[in-house]
Order: sequence, then C-alpha cells, then structure tokens
Amino acid sequence: MKKRKERIDRGIKVRSEDVFAVCSWREMLYLSSPRWLPVFIFLTLPLLLGPYWQKVMLSVAVFGLLAISWDILAQTGMISLGQALFFGMGAYCAGVMNHYFGISPFITLPLAAVAGGAISTLLLLPVLRLRGIYFSMVTLILPLMLVRVIEATKIFGGTEGLSGMTPLPSIWIEIYLIFGVLTAALFGFRRMLTSDFGLVLKGINDNDRSVTNAGINIYWFKIQALFIAGSVGAFAGAFMTHVYMFVGMPVFALDYSILPIAAAVVGGPGSLAGATLGACILVPLSEVLRGIGGLRIVFYGAFLVVFIVAIPEGLFHYAQRKYHQFERWVEVEK
Amino acid sequence: MLEIENLMVFFENALAVNGLTMAVNTGEIVGVIGSNSAGKTTLMNTVSGLIIDMRIKEKRKGGERITVYGRISFEGEDITEASADARVQKGIVLSRERHPVFGESSVIENLKISGHLRKRSEIAETMDSVFELFPALYPLRKRKAGFLSGGEQQMLAIGMALTVRPTLLLLDEPLLGLSPLMQKAVVEAIVNLNQDSGITVVICEQFARPVLPIIDRGYVVENGMLTLSGTGAELMDNPEIKAAYFGI
Repeated sequence: MKKRKERIDRGIKVRSEDVFAVCSWREMLYLSSPRWLPVFIFLTLPLLLGPYWQKVMLSVAVFGLLAISWDILAQTGMISLGQALFFGMGAYCAGVMNHYFGISPFITLPLAAVAGGAISTLLLLPVLRLRGIYFSMVTLILPLMLVRVIEATKIFGGTEGLSGMTPLPSIWIEIYLIFGVLTAALFGFRRMLTSDFGLVLKGINDNDRSVTNAGINIYWFKIQALFIAGSVGAFAGAFMTHVYMFVGMPVFALDYSILPIAAAVVGGPGSLAGATLGACILVPLSEVLRGIGGLRIVFYGAFLVVFIVAIPEGLFHYAQRKYHQFERWVEVEK
Repeated sequence: MLEIENLMVFFENALAVNGLTMAVNTGEIVGVIGSNSAGKTTLMNTVSGLIIDMRIKEKRKGGERITVYGRISFEGEDITEASADARVQKGIVLSRERHPVFGESSVIENLKISGHLRKRSEIAETMDSVFELFPALYPLRKRKAGFLSGGEQQMLAIGMALTVRPTLLLLDEPLLGLSPLMQKAVVEAIVNLNQDSGITVVICEQFARPVLPIIDRGYVVENGMLTLSGTGAELMDNPEIKAAYFGI
C-alpha cells in the first residue's frame, strides 16, 4: 500500500479556534502562551544577567525595533535598504534637542521619534513612486549621503559629533523602557497590520494596481506606512543617543541597515514576531562570536548562509507550523 | 505515445487529480475538457514535469507538500520522476496557461530563445512555418512581445512551443481570453499543425464548443476525476456535455 505524509492541525488548535476555548485552561494556555512567552522573557532575563549582557539586551531591543520597522515597510511593498536613515534621524533629533536645548530624555524620546519619522518621510517623499529595486537604491544612498553632508558642512558637531547627552536615570529604566516599547510595537503593529488599514498596506505589496482600482490613494497609505516605520526606527536611534550619551556620524552606518534585514530574513519575513526573534538570535550571536577574533564575520556569514538555505521560510514560520500542525503517514485511499 | 495510469496529485491534503487514467496515441488531437478547478492545469503540469520543480520549491519554503502517485510513460519509457527539461528533450512541450512570453524581447527573439535546443537552420525553418501558421505574427516580428495583444501573445506562445520541435504538444487553455475570431484562427492553426507536421496535440480547455469538433478523442474531467471519455463526435452528442458546456 502506498503511503504519503499528511500534515494536519493539532486537535488543540482546532478546539481553541472558537469561543469555547475560554472553557478550558489548557486551550487558553495554548492560545496565550506564545504571546506571554516573549513578555515573560523580556521581564525576567535582565534580572538574571550581568551588566555586560544587559547592554547586549539593549542592542537586541534596538535591532528588534529596526527589524520591525523594516518588516512594516516590506509588508507594504517597500524594500528598504536604509534603516540607518530612520535610526540616524532619530538619533540626531534627540541629540540636537538635548545638546542645544537641554530637554529631558523623557521628552526628547517621543519627540525625536515623531520628528525623525516625519523628516525621513519627507526625504523619501519624492521617490515614493519608485518601486522595487529603485526605491531600495535610494533608501540605501540617503544615509550614506547624509554622513557626507554632516562631514562637509560640520553641522551638529561635524565629524566629532555631539557628546555629553543626559543619560536615562538608570540601567533598569533603560532596559524596561526599551523592552516595553519593543513589546508594544510588536503586538500593536501586528494588530494594526490585521486591521483594515493593515489590509490595505498588505494589498499594496500584493498588487498595487488593484488597490488603486478599489479607489484608494496608495501614495497616502505608503506615506503613512513610511511615517510609522520611520518613527519606530527613529525611536530606536533616539534611545541609543541617550544610552551612549553621544551622537555622531556612525549612526548612519551600514550596520543599522543590513542587520535588521538579516534579522527579518532569519526570523521569517512577513511577520513582526519573526523579525524580533531574528534580532534576538543574531545580536547575541555576534557578541558570542566576538571571542573568536578575526574570523568573527566569516562565522557569522556562514551561520546566515546555512540558516537561509536550511530554513528559507524563517525560524518563526517554521516554529509556528510545528506548534499548530503535526505530520503523519497515511495510506493513499484506493 | 503517452500513457497516464492512475495518476494522483495531492496539494497538501487536497486531491487535485484523482486516479486519472488516459492515453494519447501518435498523431491524435486529444481534448481534456473540464470546468474551473477540475485539475486540468495540474494534469498539464504533471505531464510536462513542471510539478517536480514546484514540489522542490514548495518543500524548501515549507509550503504545501505536493505528492504525485501513479505512472506516466512516454513512448514506453517511465518519465514519472523525470525533470521538466529532460521531458522537453524527449519531445514533450507545454504551452502554458495565460500565454507567458518574454515581454522585453521581440517576437523573433522569443522564438529563438525557446528554440535554443535546436540548430540555427532548424530554428529558421520552424520560424518560417510559425509565421506561415500565424500570418498575423509576421508584421509584428520586430515588436516587443509585451506590447502584443492577448491573442497575438497566445499565437506567439504556441509558436514558441513549436520552435522546440515537439513530438507531443500540450496546450493549456489556448483559447483563454481570446475573441471568437481569434479562437477560430488558433483552432484552425492547431488542426493544420496536427495534419501537416504530424504533431500529437493535447488541448486542455474549459470552453468546449470550438474544441470538440476538431478533437479525435476527448476526456471530461471533474474534480480531478475522469467522468466521461469518447470520440469528439460522441462527446458532442452527449446530453450531459450539451447541458454543461453548450448550455443547451
């Protein structure tokens, strides 16, 4: 008898799909534990780690935010190669506000997020009609261009940057602030993307002409998506300014553009949780590999290649599938 | 020439083709008639080997698992697991649904690209016969294929399949989206092709009216299963076919 492998939903997934899930703790746990797990880890892990790894966690959260910002844009059909633009804009906005006007970090952070997002959107406004690789090229070039502008005109401290920012009061406030924002962004924007507004954004990615045919101005929606993604990236930048107490040309570095994309690809493009998961893996990995020395980048690259070849759908989608479904051999009915 | 025995194709748990058995003899025109989602395109993809490629891609990205059971043999040789390009070299050529052409290349370039397996002299020869078969294409031969109308693209797609010099030509929905006049031209071209060049043709169509008169034998597929088979005339006289496909 011939057999084939069948993939079906787990019983508990089917049982917990409708309202009766609330009748049983097991079903409720099944539904909610994947959501609680990251929150729980973000809350407890900082208590267990030393100061060095606490700093690493800050950068995990920052790259997580950048990856979320990249993924929102990618789901709207705009492949950005320049997350550093948003990051740097936010960093400089916060730096300028704090350095020249002495505004407290708790005010500069939200202000810089909004202002950085708005300025980045304005900068990208002329190229909004470009699609695909052309849009990507412009986003890649812009941060590199801004670095030279700062170097040549010597504004905002030029090559030396601005230093002596007000730090946040303590490491605990830093950690719980950034992880609070990361969790809010992760769950909030995930919900946004499943709302009607999010459906339009995903529609633009899928087939922008059909969206136009439905009487929707896609450019207005693209502007909104850019602003949202820009603000998320700018917040990460502003936060880093206050953590390092310094802002300078490195904020426009290529790392801030490339690592979020790598994170989203490893974690699973098309889902914000995947992007965050990717950042949670890649950033600590790069720290662990630091001990190796010169070959660090080689190992890092080899890991990325192996990962992309082995699980091209991304870790999150793979895990999600295993969580919801199982496989078994069945006989082909005759 | 082509024998399909008990073919089953699963897309994950959905059965697209269920226990299909059919045969194509040399020199025939065989029609596979079925409504939407009957499994016609899946059948064509399975026979042409494209499904093997799809299976690998889906497996890599963790998508739907495609399972193929049964046996396909071509001229006595089992080709069930042969790759699509190997099948083309054996002479099975598919003209895909929705007339995919190389939009950035001109008509002549399209024909040259698809005929790269053959010698230059052979390509030139087939190209002449393609323009003879579809005279409408000749004035457009320098035009970019992306700028052709749907019907012209369809002619080009069939022409591209012909430049490979197939022994078995599979046509997936050749009449899709064509005007009645264009449909007539394409159907006439298929008959000429079969009679003059002796190419065996399998046509998959849901629009049965223009196809039934020209086929030697036909198979009616519903939900992946064979429901009826017979000669073209038999099928045309069948009251169920009349009701379902002619609306009489």
